[in-house]
Amino acid sequence: MKTLKLILTLLILPFLGQSQDLAVNNGKALFGDLTARHIGPALMSGRINDLTLHPTNSLIVYAGTAGGGVWKSSDGGVVFQPIFDDYCQSIGAVTLDPNDPDNTIYVGTGETWTRNSVSIGDGLYKSTDGGVNWNKIGFEKSDRIASIIVNPKNSNEIYVGVLGALWGDSSERGVYKSMDGGQSWEQLLYVDQRTGCADLAMDPNDPNVLYASMWAFRRTGWSFESGGSTSAFYKSTDGGKNWNKIHNGFPSGDLGRLGIAIAPSNPKVLYTVIEAKEPSKKGLYRSEDGGQSWNQLNNDFGITVRPFYFSRIVVDPRDENVVVKGGLSGSISRDGGKTFKNLGNMHSDIHDIAFHIKDSNIMYVGTDGGVYRSMNGGVTMEIVENLPLSQFYHISLDNATPYNVYGGLQDNGSWYGPSSSPGGIEAKDWHSVGQGDGFRVLKHATKPIIYSEMQGAENIWRIDTENSLIKTVQPLPADEKAKLRYNWNTPIAMSPTKPDRFYVGSQFLHRSEDMGDSWEIISPDLTTNDPSKQNQEDSGGLSMDNSGAENHTTIFTIAESPLNDQVIWVGTDDGNVQVTRNGGKTWTNTVANVPDLPANTWTYHIEASVFDAGTAYVVFDGHTQNDMTAYIYKTTDYGASWKSIVTDHIKGFARNIQEDLVNPNLLFLGTEFGLFITMNGGETWLKFTNNMPSVAVHFIDLHPRTNDLVMGTHGRGVIIIDDISPLRDLTPEILNKNVHLFDIKPTVINEKSDFGGNFGTETQFVGANPSRDVQIKYYLSKRHTFGKMSIEIQDASGNKVGEVGPGKKKGINIVTWDYRLKPPKVAKGKTITFGGFTSPKAAPGSYKMVMTKGSDTFEQSFDLILDDKLPMQPSDYKERDRVSQLLFDMSESLAYMVYQLDAMIDHESGNKSSKILNSMNALKETLVITTGDNYVGAAEPQLREKIATLFSKIATSYDKPSANDMENFDRLNKLMKEATSSFEPLKKKFKSYDQLELKDKASFLDTTN
Amino acid sequence: MSYFSKFITLIALAITLSNYGQTADEIIDAYHENIGGIDKLKAINGIKLTLKINQGGMELPIEVIELKDGRQMTKITFQGQEIMQGVYDGTTLWSTNFMTMQAEKSDAEALENFKLGLNDFMDDFIDYKDKGYTVEMLGVETIDGTEAYKIKLIKEPMTVEGQLVDDVNFYYFDKDNYVPIAVHTEVKEGPAKGMMAESTMSDYQEVDGIYFPFSMSQGVKDQGAQPVTVVSIELNPEVTDDMFTFPDSMKTDGGK
Repeated sequence: MKTLKLILTLLILPFLGQSQDLAVNNGKALFGDLTARHIGPALMSGRINDLTLHPTNSLIVYAGTAGGGVWKSSDGGVVFQPIFDDYCQSIGAVTLDPNDPDNTIYVGTGETWTRNSVSIGDGLYKSTDGGVNWNKIGFEKSDRIASIIVNPKNSNEIYVGVLGALWGDSSERGVYKSMDGGQSWEQLLYVDQRTGCADLAMDPNDPNVLYASMWAFRRTGWSFESGGSTSAFYKSTDGGKNWNKIHNGFPSGDLGRLGIAIAPSNPKVLYTVIEAKEPSKKGLYRSEDGGQSWNQLNNDFGITVRPFYFSRIVVDPRDENVVVKGGLSGSISRDGGKTFKNLGNMHSDIHDIAFHIKDSNIMYVGTDGGVYRSMNGGVTMEIVENLPLSQFYHISLDNATPYNVYGGLQDNGSWYGPSSSPGGIEAKDWHSVGQGDGFRVLKHATKPIIYSEMQGAENIWRIDTENSLIKTVQPLPADEKAKLRYNWNTPIAMSPTKPDRFYVGSQFLHRSEDMGDSWEIISPDLTTNDPSKQNQEDSGGLSMDNSGAENHTTIFTIAESPLNDQVIWVGTDDGNVQVTRNGGKTWTNTVANVPDLPANTWTYHIEASVFDAGTAYVVFDGHTQNDMTAYIYKTTDYGASWKSIVTDHIKGFARNIQEDLVNPNLLFLGTEFGLFITMNGGETWLKFTNNMPSVAVHFIDLHPRTNDLVMGTHGRGVIIIDDISPLRDLTPEILNKNVHLFDIKPTVINEKSDFGGNFGTETQFVGANPSRDVQIKYYLSKRHTFGKMSIEIQDASGNKVGEVGPGKKKGINIVTWDYRLKPPKVAKGKTITFGGFTSPKAAPGSYKMVMTKGSDTFEQSFDLILDDKLPMQPSDYKERDRVSQLLFDMSESLAYMVYQLDAMIDHESGNKSSKILNSMNALKETLVITTGDNYVGAAEPQLREKIATLFSKIATSYDKPSANDMENFDRLNKLMKEATSSFEPLKKKFKSYDQLELKDKASFLDTTN
Repeated sequence: MSYFSKFITLIALAITLSNYGQTADEIIDAYHENIGGIDKLKAINGIKLTLKINQGGMELPIEVIELKDGRQMTKITFQGQEIMQGVYDGTTLWSTNFMTMQAEKSDAEALENFKLGLNDFMDDFIDYKDKGYTVEMLGVETIDGTEAYKIKLIKEPMTVEGQLVDDVNFYYFDKDNYVPIAVHTEVKEGPAKGMMAESTMSDYQEVDGIYFPFSMSQGVKDQGAQPVTVVSIELNPEVTDDMFTFPDSMKTDGGK
């Protein structure tokens, strides 16, 4: 009766569900097995913002990263795992509750070392189960959180230092306190709309004593300003109720960013590093009396360099006189801060340092290039090899097999690497093609040439990869008319139709028809040319900081129409959207036609449609004007009108859009919080979350041959979704079917070597490979939970040749068949024979997938094909398969012979007077191994092993059997005949054979073991 | 309560639960009820599962026996050889070493952790309070494309590399019919340590009045999974002691 009840429930419930259409589906209910594949790389890793150690378990290390989320190590920093993938990946601070460090973790989002390319945060998160589940507990508009401190005597008392918005005014800044574990917050210290809390510290012996540094700072797209009259160092002795400036001994005048450190072994000793106007007054200050007075100790370059980027100070927990300061190289003092020397050789730009909880010789250091460990007090540094935090600005693809991915990284040069590699994509598979901050890297469509751009076109390398030759081809000024203005991330572009054509954007569009050897300017100044945004030499505030990263009023994106090379789109960082329809003779600025767009919003990307020359998409990014809205528009009339395709489903400001190459309604959008997909031209967007972190997606490309969607993320490296073609078919009609089968693409039988490196990769990130198996894809409108469901593979004659475990998900299911047939049945011996595990590959030809779901059957045909790029002929494979099959049959005949013989021996074994027993045992010893083990105790191989070995040798070869193989085959054939002629007389002599009740050969072979 | 009214109740629950007023206990009760009732589950003394997995074209038959008294074994057969895994005879936990084909004992920590599961015969949730377990309703999440109640189950602490750690499992119960469709557990040892292991269950079918999943998959979340097909299930199978006993020939002086 319960059965009846359950069945009724199952029958009725579906009618209560909503019908499937693209408007109501959530991504998790649709994308199913379409899963992101991470390929790193991790060899250069990426920027680290904050390191946190467990207070009592020295094996636990957390890394809060600038763009790649939170990672946890449980082995003292050898390898790390991500624990925060579903949330904002830009991390300011990670803090463990000292009273419950195994379970309670706080993550403040929004990185705090405020370079131009920083991402944004979206609040404070708390986990009470060691990072498995997270809840946001406030500070939605905080932009960036610098510090979180939990009272070591009271878990409910939490202090948060909010640095706040970088790009505009905000009152959600300063020091906050909660007395109820984060449920409610009180703002304790607030100065003004541009001054935030840069650092916060608590006296370890007295939780009422707090120190806070407040910092006035502001960035625009074209400038940075650090410091002002509101920057100050404060102290509270009453749990934050009252705050007093403690500047006795400080330099006078405006201050900039101040770091704070308390010596844990003597909390009266404080250090601060001061950014001040007067160079001689900058640097490290120390107080011996809890901040009542200060003395300047050091103003070396390593201590004063770029305060906005490096102001972390860390004191050895066991020695108040050992102090480490972040910086270009990182500096360590062992004399209380008087003198410093550099930390050991590692990636430059050191942001945080953590001393091991028991042994100060062991240190962890966070840099622009990942986490380093030191076992000798910072002298020798070794990199953590499994943190794929690479921060791509851009990626591009080539048409090689497998295709390569090209791109440039924040502070980590430019690279290319394969989308698959034997054994997985390892660090050694990546090739360096540029230095400094790398941005756009492009592969020439037909020649072995790579272009790679660095930092404001300081270099645009043209690399001849065949001959390892390098030259630079950046356009230089040809006259005195105008200084060329290049963006830090200078756009370079190729023509989709003319392989040697190459574009570079300054404020002008430069075009070369000879791969950059000669240049022609084909536009007027396409920017606003606003002189107020061109004073970069004044940028930085108290500390001048003119790195080139703030260059503005420049071209940022270039797109030639794939359908008409006279149509070129250009977008500028100051908000223009320019188009020419005559190859640059005349230009039209169409931005005035874009509705509801704030003035001068950065034109981040223009996507020229592959379907129509007048159609394009433009993505604007307003975040440098403190506007976090996504702006995406489409035109179908060369920009005469633009229509927004943004909906509320999109989270985060957007940087890039990719149009599908087949279905014009299928679009992929990269935002600061991940990947969004629309299948109806932008009416609804679904977030893609299958193994896809909420990471900033800076650039997306779609491979035309594989249909792989490839993303350059700014914090998690290159992420690929293999073959997005099922999304092209998902119309509302198909979504309303119970089951829909997608076409199964012809699958090339892989004959290639899979010898991978795998040496030294134990603690290294290795990127996953795509599957090369037959991909069976189908859509289910409801998860299959009750009743039978199976998939079998049949050959052209309808014979079953394999089985596949079906996927049961609601949404897209992808299951694979590895086109391996069952191995032969081998004779039972004392040990196993490894050759007998060889599963031969199915022959090329037509096959059918038959899915049975309840009482319904669904079928889909597909082809297995040979790799026509290999030198072998179809006749070679046929001969291989023919001989394999003969050996397969030989093995099974022997198995049946031994099966009979074993039964006969068993029958006789109690009979001591048996004359035939010795003969039978003697024969058996020549057929199979009857002694030894599976390893170094292995016995001499017998007939079974010899057959299996040759079978394996031939079946796993790419080639037809060799002459020697056939000699060996003839020998085995002869031995098998001899065995048969020994066995048959014994069988005849064996009177009781019919009493043994043996299976016939066919049913014997049919059993699976 | 008539079957009809009970049926209506179930439907109503399925609707109201989207606002989730439902407690973990109500979901667990509905699950037990829907698969056949807790009394039937408790009445079972043993279960034998015949499974198959497919590896590179090779179909591996697997036989699993679990008894209420704690004894259990897994037997994999290929090339006529029987490989025993995770066999427990009431004292010793052992497996066949693949190289020597001989029985070897599991390490002490594995044995102690294994013993913690002896009270979970048939189902973690049977009498979970008596076992000292705690459950917590975490809300509704989409898993395998469908909405499910996520329930956190904490069992006895286990020992990992010498340290006591909580044994935390996240069960996902299908919102439509309350049967578990997935379980997540953090991997605690080995190269995948820190990743989330994912098991899924489907193809529920009835055996002697109780519903069992006849298809499972096991893997690491988002990294692919190995499907396992249940060929047959036999309740209260006939067993003999020698199916579980650690072979005398392998006993050493140090351990009996």
